[in-house]
Amino acid sequence: TVTDFDGNFTLSGVEIGSTLTFSYIGYVTQEITISSNTQLIVKLEDDIAKLDEVVVIGYGTQTKKEITGAVSVVGPETIEKLKPTRIEQALQGQVAGVNITTNSGSPGAGSTISIRGVSTNGDSRPLILVDGNVVEDLSVINPSDIQSINILKDATAGIYGVRAANGVILITTKTGRKSMPLTIEYNAWGGFQQTTRKIPVLNATEYAVIVNEAYAAAGSTPPFSDLSSLGIGTDWQDEVFESAPVFNHNITFRGGGEKSSYSYSSSLLSQDGIVGGKKSNFTRFTNAATYNLDFLDNFKFKSGLTLTRTKKNNLPESTLGSVLFNALNMDPTKSVRDSNGEFTLANGLGAEVVNPLAQIANTFNRNKVMKLNGFAGLSYNFLDHFTAEANIQFNYSEVDTYRYDPEDFYGTGKVFNTFTSEVFEGFDIFRDYTFDGFIKYENTFNDDHKLNVLLGTSVFKTTGVFSGRIGRDFRDNSPTSARVDLALDQEDIFEERGSNPKFDGRLLSYFARLQYDYKGRYLLSAVIRRDGSTRFGPGNKFGYFPSGSLGWVISDEEFMGNNNFFDLLKLRASYGILGNDRIGDYRFVSLLTGEGTYFFGGNDAEDEVFGKATGGIANPQIKWEKQKTIDIGVDMRILNNKVNITADYFNRRTEDLLVSPQVSGLLGTGAAPVVNAGIVENKGFEFAIGYSDTIGEEFKFNINYNITGIKNEVVSVSGEGEFLEGGGFGISQPEISRMEAGFPLGYFVGYQTDGVFQTQDEVNNAAVTNVATQPGDLKFVDQNGDGVIDLDDRVNLGNPLPDATMGLNISFDYKKFDFSAYAFASVGNDIVRNYERNQQLVNKPIWYLDRWTGPSSTNAAPRQTIGTSPNTLFSDFYVEDGSFIRLQNVQLGYTFSNDNEGSFFDQFRLYVSANNLFTLTEYRGYDPTAGTGAPIGGGIDQGIYPSASTFLLGINVKF
Amino acid sequence: EDENSEEFFNSENDYQLALVAAYDYLQTTAKFYQYAEIASDNTLCGGESATDSPYIQEIDDMIHSPVGQSDGGLRTMWQWMYEAVNRCNYIMEFQDKTDFPNKTSVIAQTRFLRAYYNFILVKWWGDVPMLVDKRIQFGDQFTIDRTPKGEVYALIEEDLIFAAANLPYIQNETGRVTKGAAQGLLGRVYLYQDKFAEAADVLEDLINNGPHRLLTSDEYPNMFERDWENNIESVFEIQYSDVDGGSYDCFQCLEGNYTTFFNGPRDFIDSTGKFDAGYSFNIPTQEAVDAFEPGDLRFETTILDIEQYIADNPGSSYDANAGYEQTGYFNRKYIARKGDLDIADAALTNPDNYRAIRYADVLLMAAEALNRGGISDTRAQNYLNQVRNRAMLPSVSTTGTNLTNDIYKERRVELFGEGHRFFDLVRTGRAAQAIDGFVSGKHELFPIPIEEINLSGGRWAQNPGY
Repeated sequence: TVTDFDGNFTLSGVEIGSTLTFSYIGYVTQEITISSNTQLIVKLEDDIAKLDEVVVIGYGTQTKKEITGAVSVVGPETIEKLKPTRIEQALQGQVAGVNITTNSGSPGAGSTISIRGVSTNGDSRPLILVDGNVVEDLSVINPSDIQSINILKDATAGIYGVRAANGVILITTKTGRKSMPLTIEYNAWGGFQQTTRKIPVLNATEYAVIVNEAYAAAGSTPPFSDLSSLGIGTDWQDEVFESAPVFNHNITFRGGGEKSSYSYSSSLLSQDGIVGGKKSNFTRFTNAATYNLDFLDNFKFKSGLTLTRTKKNNLPESTLGSVLFNALNMDPTKSVRDSNGEFTLANGLGAEVVNPLAQIANTFNRNKVMKLNGFAGLSYNFLDHFTAEANIQFNYSEVDTYRYDPEDFYGTGKVFNTFTSEVFEGFDIFRDYTFDGFIKYENTFNDDHKLNVLLGTSVFKTTGVFSGRIGRDFRDNSPTSARVDLALDQEDIFEERGSNPKFDGRLLSYFARLQYDYKGRYLLSAVIRRDGSTRFGPGNKFGYFPSGSLGWVISDEEFMGNNNFFDLLKLRASYGILGNDRIGDYRFVSLLTGEGTYFFGGNDAEDEVFGKATGGIANPQIKWEKQKTIDIGVDMRILNNKVNITADYFNRRTEDLLVSPQVSGLLGTGAAPVVNAGIVENKGFEFAIGYSDTIGEEFKFNINYNITGIKNEVVSVSGEGEFLEGGGFGISQPEISRMEAGFPLGYFVGYQTDGVFQTQDEVNNAAVTNVATQPGDLKFVDQNGDGVIDLDDRVNLGNPLPDATMGLNISFDYKKFDFSAYAFASVGNDIVRNYERNQQLVNKPIWYLDRWTGPSSTNAAPRQTIGTSPNTLFSDFYVEDGSFIRLQNVQLGYTFSNDNEGSFFDQFRLYVSANNLFTLTEYRGYDPTAGTGAPIGGGIDQGIYPSASTFLLGINVKF
Repeated sequence: EDENSEEFFNSENDYQLALVAAYDYLQTTAKFYQYAEIASDNTLCGGESATDSPYIQEIDDMIHSPVGQSDGGLRTMWQWMYEAVNRCNYIMEFQDKTDFPNKTSVIAQTRFLRAYYNFILVKWWGDVPMLVDKRIQFGDQFTIDRTPKGEVYALIEEDLIFAAANLPYIQNETGRVTKGAAQGLLGRVYLYQDKFAEAADVLEDLINNGPHRLLTSDEYPNMFERDWENNIESVFEIQYSDVDGGSYDCFQCLEGNYTTFFNGPRDFIDSTGKFDAGYSFNIPTQEAVDAFEPGDLRFETTILDIEQYIADNPGSSYDANAGYEQTGYFNRKYIARKGDLDIADAALTNPDNYRAIRYADVLLMAAEALNRGGISDTRAQNYLNQVRNRAMLPSVSTTGTNLTNDIYKERRVELFGEGHRFFDLVRTGRAAQAIDGFVSGKHELFPIPIEEINLSGGRWAQNPGY
């Protein structure tokens, strides 16, 4: 029998002495022997082990005990604790094998998620599904709507075949339960953010000393004659950083009737930037509703609808010429504004460095996204063992882009000077839908043989249409009149150029899965999936992706008989081949997408003619990239389920890698063709341990630690001795990041230094570059001993991939207090310092105070000169260890629980929380966690926008 | 839907659109003229510092290391010209698909353009893979060998003869290839092969029958100004515009002429509002400046003496300390003028056309062909003196080798800054004595970018000496 909502039940005809079994998901099953025919009160206990916890594995669920793949789960508690503004923040350091690189600390900025290493130089993002819906942009999701995040890390993700190669993240949103009274939950938090770091740069006097020295070294007249009046000057970083507010409101209604359940939630987040304040504000407004109804006991309906609006204001960030780059390089003797109250011009600082405050004032960029997505599904159970399910999911989004460049002048010859104001208005629409249909058969034979078979099909279609208009020349230079339709000169960029504003891609898949277990002890699962992608040409469209996994619950074996040590001991193994089609559309056919514009009859707009030329270089032979993944893991619980250990070894080998290598110039300038060439291997281990216990009645605690070690190696790329390059350094220097056989993906290649030349004799006796070298210059190692320093002397100087990442969570509850702390760390990742502009009059980091000034002065930093020197060439002088430990969250809460019936609220919790409290690192730049995440060219820091530290006060109220 | 390139050419319009795209790559050739000037004894690389744009520094210093041969340098230039040739061959591949009345004109323009691009390839690299009437497909790059330059020249001549025979002297739209352009280029191509009789024939035909003339001495100072683009002296001119923005990510996408900005003085503020600032590349040497005879009308139009200019125009200034290898002189013909839209990036979007073939060049080429071919020193003198007299210089009456040298001297000053000097020195065997670091038997050609040799299967031999 089942109980009613309040837990009441009646059983008749139960004989004295018989045993009743009471079970409920998430609680320890209890057996009670009936001794008398009276009222029975049964109190179930929380099952700490949660072995029956349901885990979503794709087109179905399994209990934790049954799982044979490497699956990690992040529950709602974690998300509640961290208050992430984006979901990625809830994954960082929480789950073994998942690494997050923050692209920028600016509000609403994205992150790069990699699961078990970087396996491709292309798109290495995992597949992310929210309630079955493919989601590419996580910024639109309200983290507090999330019930759980399941991460499929090994070949068992193969049920998703296509695009599952980089792992799958399954996000389930919260919904109501049947027979649940209306619960209202209101959460609010707010606080402020500030920068975690300023890079120490020279003050005005120090700057003038160094600049004078650099001029003198080159035989030029030192520009500063009177140093005494300069003082400290302007601290440009102080000028651009500010303390910025952030707040979030979230209200949720949940409940259910006898046959239905529902939920609705709404949230509003607003976050200003620590650079630029409102000019980099991110605002998100979400509405999510779900409704589930059982028409019949065996015929069920589920649905959900989400409407999200986001708005993000953007400032130039994380590149050469970004606001922070300018703040670092700007002359400290200059004031923010001149005597007329105008922004000071940055004359003499090269073409890129401008007054960062003028830049903020003149930037008007914003992106608005309106996204509507939803799902609906029916399931029908028939003939006892069969269930048929059909689901449809859709995404519709409108991306509205606005960019206004007013007329502005930052100084002579600046690349950012705008002489004709221009507005760009873009409006892009993206649509996609996924249809899944499948039939499941579930049966148990002779109590011992449990069989589960799934057959299904999935169709995915994505389309989009872009529009963009440019307007130039406005009657005045004010932002209010800066609209394309008010411009004297208007242009529709797609229409005028005859370029195609649409895209269209499709996938068609069939899949089958068999799961079998014998006595819950021997577990087996096999998946085969056939995928067809429109990204491949005739003959190569379809790929077959098989995977299989085995599990052995040793602790249930009879030979373990009286073992009291292991509450659970399970061995798992999986192997499979997964596919990847993440390349551009139609790269197998040559399309007329090339640029070919010329002028006949004059140079004016009306003389412009747009021709047709072939675009990207086509390769008709391209086919599926294949990833072969082995995983061997062990799960155990010991000491009465108090300690929980999971360990995995994995080897992911990506073959037929879809790369865009350099190709012969005979093929022209079209985008490089996509070819299947290359092998990348990611080998590693994951280890997670959790310990939770209760001491006395009132003190509960929980400690979780995880560590992941990954060794990444490129086994081959294209032809012999070839490599792919990326990642700029300085101005027009050779690219410094490579994908090359025998090295980690994206390693840095440059000169190794051996201190600084102290004397002319040393210079005369050493190999040097063809740039004139003097004492005080960096000494490069002549690797091949040929007596000159040239490109052949460049060596591996490190790589941006961490050797190991780890996370530590501690939480405890004492009476009505709760406390949690969470830290994560990365070891062995290198970062290239690329935020110093090599120009006569730009400012410099403070470590140049330790420059070389004469024989035997130092080996720490080279001499200062405005003349030519080889010191600006890329060498290990610019590579730093980016290892770090960050205390990501500390939170202290107090719950005013209410035991009295009929009170206004059921629970009221007040808490204070600090995010990103401090980071221990030797890295001297802003933020060792930040990077572009690019597989080739990642880890190059151009003054990247640091993650803010945040101090919050919040409440949770349940009604 | 994007059109499939295999299913195109169904109407005249399709052919015209493909032809526009073939013209487009003329704009990329600015880099060749700028680099060729820097390679010669006329100018130094300059730029911000010794490490700014190493691939241009190396062109100047005759080094051509793998850096100089890589992207941004020789490799990019090689790629551009093959893209350009492929665009022409795309039309040629489908020339028989659809008929329409103007087709001969379309094909004639296409063949001129192919010759123009192939001539650059053969000048810079000698024997080059020659692609004929067919686009190259992925995979083909491993099967194509270098073609002896004689065969490449033969195709160039054929194309230009066809173009000259089938195009009018006057086109309805400026910027279109004309008969005169085809003849002028054909004359130049013959001259590069020392085919003096053929060169003289075609160039004199153009002189006698074409519509072009020299600008007068009064008109001359306007020659390189925007209001005088496509003037009567311009036989072929590459069109640039300021109406579109541009970025450093895609130089071949630019509609503007970036070289003019790169040639300008750093942090230059011109009180007269005429000139824009620049990045201080392509710096005239003192020796080149001294090559002008006193009283030469062309000097002021050709050389910007920045100190003198600032002295003459109070309120003007520039940063003498900024920039590398600065001599105080700039290439005045091709530095950016103010007055354009300066759409982002302003440095890349200058509308200044490049005068690819000027009538003065035609006269000097004709003079050279007549003199060196032993055909007529009288006519050679006449053509040379037309150019000298226009520059307010006295006539010369030399003959034979002396006349040859006078023609060479005149070519240098008349065409200074226009990208001809390096190849003039090479084709006449004078490069080694004129250019520092020039090694005979090696530097007549640039190295095939090493990467290109590798990417084509490593079967091509490198040019001698590299």
